Amino acid sequence: MTLDPKPDDRAVRLSEGSGRPNADAAPSAGSGLSTISRATYFKEAALQNLFLVCACVAVAGVALIFLFVGWRGWPIFAKVGLFNFLGGYVWHPTKGDFGILTLIVNSMLATLGALALGAPLAIGTAVFLSEVANPRIRDLVRPAVELLAGIPSVVYGFFGLVLLRPIIAKFSGGLGFGLFTVWIILAVMILPTIAAISEDALRSVPEGIREASYAMGATKWQTIWRVLLPAAKIGIIDAIILGMGRAIGETMAVVMVAGNAPVIPNGIFAPFLTLTTVIVMDMPYAAGDHRTALFGVAIILFVISMIFVATIRIISRFGKEVG
Amino acid sequence: MGPMSLRRSAARVLVLAVVLPAMLVSGCSSRAGAAKTELTVTGSTTILPIAEVAAEMFHEQHADLRVLVAGVGSSAGIESVTKGTSDIGTSSRDLKPEEKSLGLVDTPIAFDAIAVIVNPSNPVRALTTKQAADIFEGKITNWKDVGGSDQLIWLVNRDEASGTREAFSKIVLGGAPFDPKSAVLPGTGQVRSVVADSATSVGYISLGFVDKSVKAVSIDGIQPTEKTVADGTYPVSRVLHFFTKGKPSGLAKQYVDFVLSSAVQSKVVRDAGFLPVAEGRK
Repeated sequence: MTLDPKPDDRAVRLSEGSGRPNADAAPSAGSGLSTISRATYFKEAALQNLFLVCACVAVAGVALIFLFVGWRGWPIFAKVGLFNFLGGYVWHPTKGDFGILTLIVNSMLATLGALALGAPLAIGTAVFLSEVANPRIRDLVRPAVELLAGIPSVVYGFFGLVLLRPIIAKFSGGLGFGLFTVWIILAVMILPTIAAISEDALRSVPEGIREASYAMGATKWQTIWRVLLPAAKIGIIDAIILGMGRAIGETMAVVMVAGNAPVIPNGIFAPFLTLTTVIVMDMPYAAGDHRTALFGVAIILFVISMIFVATIRIISRFGKEVG
Repeated sequence: MGPMSLRRSAARVLVLAVVLPAMLVSGCSSRAGAAKTELTVTGSTTILPIAEVAAEMFHEQHADLRVLVAGVGSSAGIESVTKGTSDIGTSSRDLKPEEKSLGLVDTPIAFDAIAVIVNPSNPVRALTTKQAADIFEGKITNWKDVGGSDQLIWLVNRDEASGTREAFSKIVLGGAPFDPKSAVLPGTGQVRSVVADSATSVGYISLGFVDKSVKAVSIDGIQPTEKTVADGTYPVSRVLHFFTKGKPSGLAKQYVDFVLSSAVQSKVVRDAGFLPVAEGRK
């Protein structure tokens, strides 16, 4: 926030966060230090306020969404009770059953499976890009991984529905919808997120640590496994949690390959419904309490997101303390 | 992670996103007092092939008039015509008791039959209504219990916005709940393609959408054909509706009359696999 005044540009130091320059730094006639022009001073102040507004828009956006979703969803907690809403396992809104435990469990199953498949793949990619690949190959692989992040989720879903699902239907003897299909799609979708942040974490390990490890006679593998990965641990955990956030919030791709049955799936090839997909499936026709319950589901998703963000912050702080 | 809750909604909502600006345009033009030149027809995906092709033909005949058609499900169609966001709501189900007081006028435009479909490789060719109901309620779970091979039955269901589901539930299940383990898909085309790829699956779609990729089984010994639907012997059939707020007038009346004309009834309705109202039963 603070503009660091370099000796040569003779800028005034603007007060942090308040959006207003310090009164004592304002240019006044006769003050020997403040030799910046009035125009420069106002430009600096205006820019600082502009950036403050930018930051406020983001905060206001989150606050508005939270207030709106909370306002529309709150009545369902009052009506069926928070315990029945979170703890009930029957989701049959048109019959008055508003239990979302099944959906929470399904979202977790989908997310954890996707992480189990995707995280090792992503961390392996990060290690390859940061430690193993020569620059030519790296320049080929990294854009490819980044491109994965840019593919719209509906394209993943369509790919899963049209190409993957029939194949899985053939060998599983079912419909091809289910956890297995979702895991594969989500694992590919979270790969770029986890890979990019893990790679940053690996790269930020000081070169001296690598050199020390090699100097001790460690092989490349020993250096990666025993030295670099532990050193980058905090960043990699952050990456995994961000990947989790992406997986649990993913909607469009999941709705196309999950099969959307509001039950805990009987095996990894059986259809299931999650917290996000229920909103997509039901929103077009939901009315009354049903619609309110969907906003209630959105509140739960919001809370899960906040838990993830808070976890990352706590882990990062912890990492700074021990690191 | 906030933006995840802002993610785009289903494909059906995307359809709305396309139609909505058009609705706004039509709303503006009518507010301006000029004669309406755009008509919005929203609702059943079953009726989509009729309404869409009829809309194109209508536009060919009246270059200055345009009919915008969207398939969002019968319930959404009834809701949008009630709220006035569309001029005609199409529905493949009858009005629910609570919808009867909304002042909607019903114009039947075609008859439809719902076929129970299985994979062509499935040896099962015939079911009774009771067997079909037991299968979709989850009471019969293996094909061997209805004369097939020893394999689990995988149910393919429609979402609750679907008029086809509503009609199937009423006619076949008698209102009993579907097996909650069934896959829920948001469109007729998806149900058909999933049943076409999966040897152990069973679903239900309008007779008009049955093609060679799936096999329609006979119900109570009656194969669903145009003839058995027309003479009323095929048990799983229903009426397709256009709903308007009050009697259709102006542009809406012009379009409804066009859909009821023999040009549409004997060509478009038949091509879509439905039965014309004029030649219907009863």
